[in-house]
Amino acid sequence: MNRMVRAIALSIAGIVSCTSVAGCGAAQAALGIQEPPKANTASAPLTVDQAERILSRELAAAQQSEATTGAAAAAALRTAYTGEGLRAARARVKLAAVRRAGTDSPLLAPQQPRLLAVSRGFGYPRVMVAQTVPSGGLFPILHLLTSPDAATPYRISASATMLPSSTIKPFDPLGQGSPLTDGTELAVTPSVLLNVYAARMAFPTKAVANPPFAADSFSAQVRAKAAAVAKAVVTQSSFSQVHKVVPDSVYAVRQANGDALVFGVIVRTDSFAVKSGQAVNTAAGKEFVLLSGKKLSTKSASITTLEFVVFAVPRSTGQATLVAASEQVVAGSGS
Amino acid sequence: MAVLGMLLAALGAWTAIKLGPSGEVHFSATSKATGAVAVGPDVLNSLNVPVRIRATRGDGGAVWLATGPSDDARAVLATSAVSTVSGVHYPAGTLDLRSSGAGALPGIGTSDVWRLRTRGSGPTELVVDQGTGPETAVVTSGDATALTNVTMTLTWHERSWFFKALSVAVIGAIIAAFALGDLSHSRHTSRRTDGVRSRRSRVSA
Repeated sequence: MNRMVRAIALSIAGIVSCTSVAGCGAAQAALGIQEPPKANTASAPLTVDQAERILSRELAAAQQSEATTGAAAAAALRTAYTGEGLRAARARVKLAAVRRAGTDSPLLAPQQPRLLAVSRGFGYPRVMVAQTVPSGGLFPILHLLTSPDAATPYRISASATMLPSSTIKPFDPLGQGSPLTDGTELAVTPSVLLNVYAARMAFPTKAVANPPFAADSFSAQVRAKAAAVAKAVVTQSSFSQVHKVVPDSVYAVRQANGDALVFGVIVRTDSFAVKSGQAVNTAAGKEFVLLSGKKLSTKSASITTLEFVVFAVPRSTGQATLVAASEQVVAGSGS
Repeated sequence: MAVLGMLLAALGAWTAIKLGPSGEVHFSATSKATGAVAVGPDVLNSLNVPVRIRATRGDGGAVWLATGPSDDARAVLATSAVSTVSGVHYPAGTLDLRSSGAGALPGIGTSDVWRLRTRGSGPTELVVDQGTGPETAVVTSGDATALTNVTMTLTWHERSWFFKALSVAVIGAIIAAFALGDLSHSRHTSRRTDGVRSRRSRVSA
């Protein structure tokens, strides 16, 4: 009996040891050996900490670019901005000397940055959506940060001040990321929306039937100002205004409920054709003089302005709503 | 069975001694080639425990060390000269290095793809945790001079490995003890049986 017990014990011990030690799968599991994991395409390519560090770095550089001058400001601008965002920021810095009192950049005010969304997946371009809330009762600013490829860091490519009473619907959790969309599932595709919006703001006015967007205060102000300018210069020159969407500036980030936040940049060109025998004194327009170097125009003049707009676009039906907009004069010329 | 038990006991004891109570295992190699050194996910994410990467330049210069998603790291390194850690050897404690590419390395430090990064003026370490793979670690020069003659050491640390090795040694020793005991008992019984048989045969004769 004693011998039988020993034989059984030996057999069990042998089987256990053989399967746990020599058995390849069990040994691998015991050591924690694993196949390299596959990339999770349904997650953000950055950790939340990483994304917040990048955002802080970019906002710090943006503040530095507006608070310093010379080479330091130029370097900070290149660190903070890219594309049309950089073009606008450079112009803002250049025009700081002639900026009207009380119109300092809101980036100079202390901010409370908030990361709203990080694009999902490991493809490019990658984007981040952030909001800063300047102190002193100023409206929040929405920022779009983009990275076009693995070697190029995130930079601010668009910033727009939120309109009164506008809100942003929540995005998917930051760790999960929010997909970029071409907008085919939306009530209106982002490119069509931006192009129709740009066409609608032209002066002389062009009628647009059934616009895919609701009326907003920004375009109303732009059109009212264009009409006022045309009226003011009517004896000396003709005036027209054209708006065109900047190619590759449109990004749509899907929100948790299926709607999308759409960023876009529109370039506005104000053109003056001076009437024969007339000379327009532009000395009062300090920004124009600084950008064009002209105090008198006898033939023509033009002013280029970038318009940064952000729309909330519903998923299936309904009109898009403008939630943020900013503009910046970037160039001027006269002859 | 006794032989198996003794083999297990010896293997377990040797592994436990080799690992030490902290359960650490080290692998090293020195890259003499000029260019970055990369550790791909096949090695970096092969164990479900954190890995410590230590890079030391022969000339004592600065080292920049980072880790990020493998596809991004591959895109950033592109066709640059890279020595990739392609395998590890246990118990030899060595690493295989495979060279590829030929171009100069662009300034990869400004990229935002790196989840972890560090820079040191001498031997530099980075502990890479698991769970966000596949990732690739990249080592390059932390100063203006090109990276060459750099010693890479990968260390995995898991305390339970020591106890597992110890368990194998104990199980092996128990099996060997039982088997030897059984063998001795069998021989004794067999000798006694033979004695009884021979006495009976003498009586019957």
